[in-house]
Amino acid sequence: MRHAIALVLSGGSGDRLSVLSSERAVSAIPFGGKYRVIDFVLSNCCHSEIERVGVLTQHAPTSLHDHIGSGRPWDLDRRGGGVRILQPYLTREHAGWYRGTADAVAQNWDLIEASRASQVLILSGDHVYKMDYRALFHTHEERGAAATLAVTTVAPSEVHRFGMASLDRSGRVHQLDEKPKATSARFASMGIYLFESEVLAEALRGHPVDLVLDVLRPAIESGQPVYGHGFEGYWEDVGTLPSYYRASLELLAPEPRLQLHDARWPILTRDEERPPVLTLPGADVESSLVANGCRVAGKVRRSILFPGVTVEPGAAVVDSVVMQDVRVGRGARVDRAIVDKFVQVGDAARVGEGEPPAGPEASGVAGLTLVGKYALIPDRARVGRGAVLGVGTGPEDFVGNEVRAGTRIPDHPAHADLG
Amino acid sequence: MSASRYAFILAGGLGTRLCLLSERRAKPAVPFAGKYRIIDFTLSNCVNSGIFDVGVLTQYHPTSLHEHVGIGRPWDLDRTRGGVQLLQPSLDSVASEWYQGTADAIFRNLVHLRRRRADHVLVLSGDHVYKMNYDPLYAFHQANYASVTVAVTEVPERAASSFGIIEIDRRGRVVGFEEKPRRARSRLASMGVYLFDRSALIQWLVEDAERPESRHDFGKDLLPRLVARGEAVYGFRFNGYWQDVGTLDSYYESNLAFVSDPPPLDLNDAEWVIHTQSADRPPVRFEPGGRAERSLIANGCRIAGRVVRSVLFPGVTVSRGAVVSESIVMHDTQIGRGATVDRAILDKEVAIGEGACVGWGEEAAPNGACPEHLSSGLLVVGKGARLPERVRVGRNARIGPYVAERDFAGDLPAGGVLRGPEPEH
Repeated sequence: MRHAIALVLSGGSGDRLSVLSSERAVSAIPFGGKYRVIDFVLSNCCHSEIERVGVLTQHAPTSLHDHIGSGRPWDLDRRGGGVRILQPYLTREHAGWYRGTADAVAQNWDLIEASRASQVLILSGDHVYKMDYRALFHTHEERGAAATLAVTTVAPSEVHRFGMASLDRSGRVHQLDEKPKATSARFASMGIYLFESEVLAEALRGHPVDLVLDVLRPAIESGQPVYGHGFEGYWEDVGTLPSYYRASLELLAPEPRLQLHDARWPILTRDEERPPVLTLPGADVESSLVANGCRVAGKVRRSILFPGVTVEPGAAVVDSVVMQDVRVGRGARVDRAIVDKFVQVGDAARVGEGEPPAGPEASGVAGLTLVGKYALIPDRARVGRGAVLGVGTGPEDFVGNEVRAGTRIPDHPAHADLG
Repeated sequence: MSASRYAFILAGGLGTRLCLLSERRAKPAVPFAGKYRIIDFTLSNCVNSGIFDVGVLTQYHPTSLHEHVGIGRPWDLDRTRGGVQLLQPSLDSVASEWYQGTADAIFRNLVHLRRRRADHVLVLSGDHVYKMNYDPLYAFHQANYASVTVAVTEVPERAASSFGIIEIDRRGRVVGFEEKPRRARSRLASMGVYLFDRSALIQWLVEDAERPESRHDFGKDLLPRLVARGEAVYGFRFNGYWQDVGTLDSYYESNLAFVSDPPPLDLNDAEWVIHTQSADRPPVRFEPGGRAERSLIANGCRIAGRVVRSVLFPGVTVSRGAVVSESIVMHDTQIGRGATVDRAILDKEVAIGEGACVGWGEEAAPNGACPEHLSSGLLVVGKGARLPERVRVGRNARIGPYVAERDFAGDLPAGGVLRGPEPEH
């Protein structure tokens, strides 16, 4: 695909993912036991032979930078092309911050021009799916489209989260409604747009802010050939806490819709060199994903353990997502929780205990407890269901060795610099 | 300083005593501890000690080694200056034969020193499992004005006769060196780690090459001779874990040692990472009914059966109802439903049919083809072999690479042998 460049939009501030995204972009959030969300899109690019990729980012980009680096894991460390991280910058004319998706693309137009790409593929870094973009290019070229958007079907209860497209029988898009309450349109836009470079260049002259509202919609309304390309595989926007947690646990189904064990379409990531999983006497692991570097001596059920997690004897981890290098102490229990990196759960501590609180919960998901990076949960402490422990929560935040159900401990700024 | 360090790694070892495992791969390329190859330990020691210029000498079945080391990416050895070079014997002006011994192998590659300003040359073996910082060895060597320093480690008395045994005086000077002595006079064994002064090495190798009676081997000829004539040969004691994975039994035992807590080497040490070529594999998937105790299980495995005291390399599938105990199972091997595998080493891409019983019965007649390697009850199955459903395979059996279902005439008794097809060239 020498004629195309892909731009991955991963500037999304992920307030919706609570403490998980307080220090990182949504696309840098760990997912699936060893990946970051953006790995799916970068792997798709790699397998679809797209050799030039720009990643547009502005919200807490540090962990994204560390992760992508020179792009080696995706064979995107190239002399010509490869991956580039595109941060907002200052010029004499403007202050730089991306005002919206179209503005972000416009500010990096010189890169697209220099690449002499005849087509520009716009992707979102917050989506989890496996897709061969070559099929999208095929549809686009076959129809002679000015722009083609990938669409998929979603449940009627979900339409309010998406841009909904109405297509005629030839696949041409007649209408695009952004996040409608109700609609007759059957197809949700996946946030994947393929443009002819000339068409996009022309549209950007009017200083649009948003790609859908200010570029695609006017193009459709003015009668330009905009087509839809149907995609039937698994696709999930994990940019909200409920969808992140649901998509994570769905990986543990007997026949998961997203197959990670797939030698033909492996998800590539920056692999930390860790030894194989060590299971010790008393280990009891079922229906779970456990990554290299873990040491398990306790019980694990329907959970995802990222590299380097230790589950001590007598401990139990149930219905939870536990990220890198967390230690779950002897006899501790972690139930229905997302535990971020480097957290220490003290011996006999309880995370996610008792009844869920009545009324709205700090985590926003029924009964789900969140523990931010570096939190230290003291021995025998209790963290009630639905509580949110901010980044760097320490023993001083516990009252009577307890954080009550549904309460929220704010981030400790002292940890913000640690990355 | 780092730029002036250069290391040769001898990786041509036949590893005959590893039987099937090294039949089609050099010993340094034999898989170890769930995801590594034996040479990873030495290569990682080099880069962790700041040695980024390494020549790997290969000779015997180099394909899997070449594939594994490649351009050295996992070890950060893909460099503009230095990095890793794979040195295969070639037809040239110096000699046009295979390497005769370890000294000959270095002698024939002296040309690689010419372009380098290294004052010292480190000669290592790719056959050993250990974590060692070579910095103190360099410091010791220089402090003693040594011409060559040999790293030594204590071995059990009964094992002493299979090593180069060294006697050192109180100042660390080597006063005796005997290769595989019948009766050892010390328990200090050479680790096959030698640090030479560049000029001394060149002089000695040239000299050795001219001796017709020499076997051109460091341990057998060169070092004993240097000690005998009073050269400045020193011994540097190393007290950490060091394992020569020489025989099938020691290979098996040292792999299983890694399922104990704590393991003999901390492989999870962020300060001394053992790097390897890892394929992108998803995390281990434990299915309902899966269970694994006291085991090492690498990414990409799928566990729906039981695993006890075993080492599973990436991509192994243990189907429902299957039981794998006290075994070593390499990459992408499939264990069918209800099959049992006990005290076995299964090489890569083996398929065990449903209900098969591998490691069956109490009888333990030694292997018919190689009783010297297979008599302790352990059985081996070569790469790509396919075992039919419900077949029973006795202890000490040997099933060659790429044996197919139709090659079985029925159960294979203890000590039985099934040869695979001849390798295609």
